[in-house]
Amino acid sequence: MVPPSSPIPLVSDDDPAGVDFESPTAPSPVVRAANVTKIYTRGSDPGRLGTLLGRPDAPRVRALENASITISTGEIVGLAGPSGSGKSTLLHLLAGLELPTKGTVTFQETDLETLSTRERTRLRLEHVGIVFQRFHLVESLSARANVALPLVELGVGKRDRRKRATALLERVGLGDRVGHRPGELSGGEQQRVAIARALVTDPTLVIADEPTGELDTETGQRILNEFERIADDRAVVLASHDRPTLAISDRIVRLKDGMIRSDGNK
Amino acid sequence: MDLKRWLARLRAAGGITVSQLRHHRLRLGLAIIGVGLAVLAMTLLAGVGVGVLETGEQQFGAADRDLWVTAGETRLTSAGGGGFENSLTNSRSVATEMESHESVRSAVPLAFETVYVGTNGDGEFQTFIGTGVPTSGSVVQVTAGNELSGDPHYANGSYDGERTNEVLIDEETARALDVEVGDTIHVGGSLAVARNTEMTVVGISPTFERMLGAPTVVMPLSELHQVTGTTQTEPATFITITLEDGADIDTVQTSLAKDHPEYEIRSNQEQLEAVLQEQVLILAAGGTLVVLALGAGIALTHTLLTLVIFQQRAAFGALTAQGISSSVLILSVIGQGLVIGILGGIVGTALTLPAVDLLNRLAVAVVGFDGLVQMSPAILASALAIAVVIGTAAAALAGWRLSRTPPLENL
Repeated sequence: MVPPSSPIPLVSDDDPAGVDFESPTAPSPVVRAANVTKIYTRGSDPGRLGTLLGRPDAPRVRALENASITISTGEIVGLAGPSGSGKSTLLHLLAGLELPTKGTVTFQETDLETLSTRERTRLRLEHVGIVFQRFHLVESLSARANVALPLVELGVGKRDRRKRATALLERVGLGDRVGHRPGELSGGEQQRVAIARALVTDPTLVIADEPTGELDTETGQRILNEFERIADDRAVVLASHDRPTLAISDRIVRLKDGMIRSDGNK
Repeated sequence: MDLKRWLARLRAAGGITVSQLRHHRLRLGLAIIGVGLAVLAMTLLAGVGVGVLETGEQQFGAADRDLWVTAGETRLTSAGGGGFENSLTNSRSVATEMESHESVRSAVPLAFETVYVGTNGDGEFQTFIGTGVPTSGSVVQVTAGNELSGDPHYANGSYDGERTNEVLIDEETARALDVEVGDTIHVGGSLAVARNTEMTVVGISPTFERMLGAPTVVMPLSELHQVTGTTQTEPATFITITLEDGADIDTVQTSLAKDHPEYEIRSNQEQLEAVLQEQVLILAAGGTLVVLALGAGIALTHTLLTLVIFQQRAAFGALTAQGISSSVLILSVIGQGLVIGILGGIVGTALTLPAVDLLNRLAVAVVGFDGLVQMSPAILASALAIAVVIGTAAAALAGWRLSRTPPLENL
C-alpha cells in the first residue's frame, strides 16, 4: 500500500518512463546508491576565531567510499563485514536517515538529496520500515500502541489502526501479548513487535541493523524466519556479521574499510 | 481532512503524554517535587521581601502616628563610640513648639541610643538599643508585667525629679540576659555609668524590637538622656506627631514644614520610604535574593523539564527514524511539561503556607521578629503561573531541540 499523500512521484504501469512494479520477470529497483561516499566530522570545525587561535580542523572519518548498490523488490540483501566496515552507514543512507557526502541515493527514482528533512521523514513513514538492534520501542506504550503509532501520521482511523496492529502482532506470533508493554516482553518478543511496527505502513523497503544481535540463537532464528516471510513483496536489507542472518539473504554485499569488496548471490 | 489528522495527532500525543507520565512514576514524582521546591523557594523569598515592606507599614500604622519629624538621617553611626545619629536636638522644646501648632494633639520625641547592659556591676556588659520614651502619648505595648510609671525625673527640664529606674525589655533581651520581670539590670551609655546605674525590669514589650528588628531596653526619655549624658542637648531620633481627629494630614504637614524648614516632616508612608532608602544595602540584598530566587526557580524548572524530556530521546529518535513527525513528539512533551508544571506548582503553593507559618514561628523564636515572611494570593498565583509557563516552555524547547537533532544522534 502506498498512501495517496506520498511525496515520491509514484510510477504506475501505464507510465512509460516509470518502472514496472508488478513485473514478475524484472524486479523493480526500490533504492539505488551510486558512488556514495560518507565522511563524518568528529566534533565541530574551529570556525574563523578557532582558526585564528590555531585550533586544528576537526578530524574527519571516511565511513563509506564510492559505494554503489541497487536493491530491488523481493530481495533480501545482507550487508556483511567487520565492525567499522560501513554496513550501518550504508543502511542509514539507503533508508534516507542520512545524506551522502558525495554520490546519490535514489529512492524509487527520487534523489533523496532533493527532499527536505520533513519530506524524507514522510518518505520513511510511507516507504521504509526500520528495525533496530535494540528495538527502541516506547516503554510506556503497549505492543499494539507501539505498532499502531506510525498509522496516526497516515491519518488511519483508530479502529483501523487497532485492527491492523493486532493483525500484524498475530502474524509475528504475539496475538496474546498485544496489551503488554515492552518491559513485560522478552527480547525476542520485543524484536517481533519492532518488526510489526516496521511493517505496519506496508513499506517497500525494510532495513534492519543487527536484528538478532541482542537475541539468543533460537529466538534469533524465529526473527529471521519473520524476515523471510515478509520479503515476498518488498526489499529487505539486513546488516550483520552474524552467519545465520546472512544465510537467509539472497545476495550478500561484503564491505571492508568503507568499501564494497564484493556483491553477489550466495 | 487536515483537521481530522491534526486531531488524531493531538490524541496520539495526549496518549503518549499520559502513558509516559503513568509509566515513569518515580521520574514524574521527582520532577513534581523539584518544580514544587523551585516554587517554594520563589514564594518564600518573595514573601520575605513583602514581609519587610508590610511589617514596616504595619509598624508605622500600629504606632498610631500621623507625622514623623527628623533632622536628617537616623542611621547608625560610629561617632561617639557608636550608636544612632540623633541629630534632632532640643527635642523636648521642639516637640512642645509643634504641639502648640493648630490641629496637633501631641508631639512626642523618641530617642534611640546604644547602651551597655549587664546583670551585675562587675560582670560582662552587652550592647543593646536603649529607647527613650516620654510616658505621655507614647504607645508601648506591654505583654507581661507593668507599663513604665512615668517620667518624673525630667521635672520640666530641671532633671532633678525622682528617677523611676524602670525599664521594659523584650523577650529576646530577657533571654540574652537571663532576666525576668522584677529582676534588676545595669544600664548606661558608658561602662562606668552602667556599673553604677541599676534599673528594675517592670515589664516585657515587643514594640521597639519589632520596629527596629533588634533587642531593646525601653526607659523614660529623661533617664535615657541621663545615662547617656545628653541631658544638655536632649537629642531624639525623631518626634512623632498625632493630629486631632478629622485634621487633614497634608495640610498640617505643609504648614509644619513651612514653620520648621530645618526639619524633615513626613507622613507614615514617606517615613517608611525614607527609612528603607537609608537601608539601601539591605534592600539591594533583599532584591538580589528575590531575583536570584526567581532565576533559580526558573533555571531549576527548566533544567528538570529538559532532563525529563532528554531521557526520552532514544524513543523519540526511533520514532522520528520511523517517520513520526516532530509535531506529535513536541505536542507530547509539551503535554508532559504542562502536567509537571501544574502539579509541581500546586505542590509548591500548597507547601508554601505551612512553610511560611513555620518560618515565622522560627523567626519569632530566634530573633523575636514577627511577620518575617508574608504571603499574598498574588505571590502564590505568580509562582504557580511561572511553574506552568516555564515548565511548558522548557519542555517545548527541549522537544523542539530533540526534533531538530538527526534521529541517529538520539539513538
